[in-house]
Amino acid sequence: MSTYAGAVVMTSAATQEDTRTEEASRLADPWVTIVWNDPVNLMSYVAYVFESYFGYPEAKAHQLMMQVHSEGRAVVSTGPRERMEVDVQAMHGFGLWATLQQSGAPGEGA
Amino acid sequence: MTPFRSTPAGFVARWEPVEREVLARVARDVAGLLRADAGLPDDVTDAGVAFTGVARVPRDPAVQRLLPDAHREDADVAAEFRHLTQTDLAAGKVARLLAFADAVADDGGTDDAPSDGQVVVAREAAQDFAGALTDVRLVLGERLGLDDDADVEHLHHEVLAGLGIVDDADTADPDETDAAGLDAEQRSYWGGVFVAAGFAQESLMDEMLAELRARGRGAGE
Repeated sequence: MSTYAGAVVMTSAATQEDTRTEEASRLADPWVTIVWNDPVNLMSYVAYVFESYFGYPEAKAHQLMMQVHSEGRAVVSTGPRERMEVDVQAMHGFGLWATLQQSGAPGEGA
Repeated sequence: MTPFRSTPAGFVARWEPVEREVLARVARDVAGLLRADAGLPDDVTDAGVAFTGVARVPRDPAVQRLLPDAHREDADVAAEFRHLTQTDLAAGKVARLLAFADAVADDGGTDDAPSDGQVVVAREAAQDFAGALTDVRLVLGERLGLDDDADVEHLHHEVLAGLGIVDDADTADPDETDAAGLDAEQRSYWGGVFVAAGFAQESLMDEMLAELRARGRGAGE
């Protein structure tokens, strides 16, 4: 997510129209990374992954971790598909059970 | 086994020789399983090796858990993701499992200081060490048939009862196998390894999280 924000900042010198187009396509076709609950991963490890990899503050990481634990899943990042593939690969590297899908697709949940 | 504690040299715990030996062996077994089932060549962890084979879906459910489908409904997306990432992911896991095995098998004895039973995890190696513990626990969890939180709680209770830490009248028939196909002795053994690995990881994560948060607060000031 930080990479994508950086890309937007770097294009700020381009025309306003380009920025709007980019913003519109991003909103029209976002993907999400979902982390699913599993009985083995420790809550402290999941919190560590959310804080260290995504850079989320402790409170947000805790809220997402509790959502995974109690609701079975949580959307942990949103953005273009390529970025979500990077996030899912990282989650699998950590040993978390993660999938990507288009935002709004069945199964994403609230 | 003592909990990991933060020290200037890194995160330090004290493990019994049998704990080192068993966890090192399990980590090497998991590495071998991954390498075989993910279709990695033997030398894939060597630097600079370009592997262009087609990543196949692992057959072993435990390896599937380490390398899961990246999309639940769209098989094409999942297959493409697997093709692009599986070799790197599996090779990374194999490398850190072997590093973990080497680290815990090393009894800390040097010319200057004889073996003191310490497991020392350098800060820069701690995330990989924790990741290796995760992969070991995920594979053991699959083998032990741990499908939900209640299964894990029950296993913890069984293991602690076996150690005489909690009182439990639930004595298993030694010849009867459980739902995962393990007899009482196997379940007790692997359950003990799973619980020990979880204890080690929990204490390591407590220390790593505390330091991560302290650094975050420092950077924010």
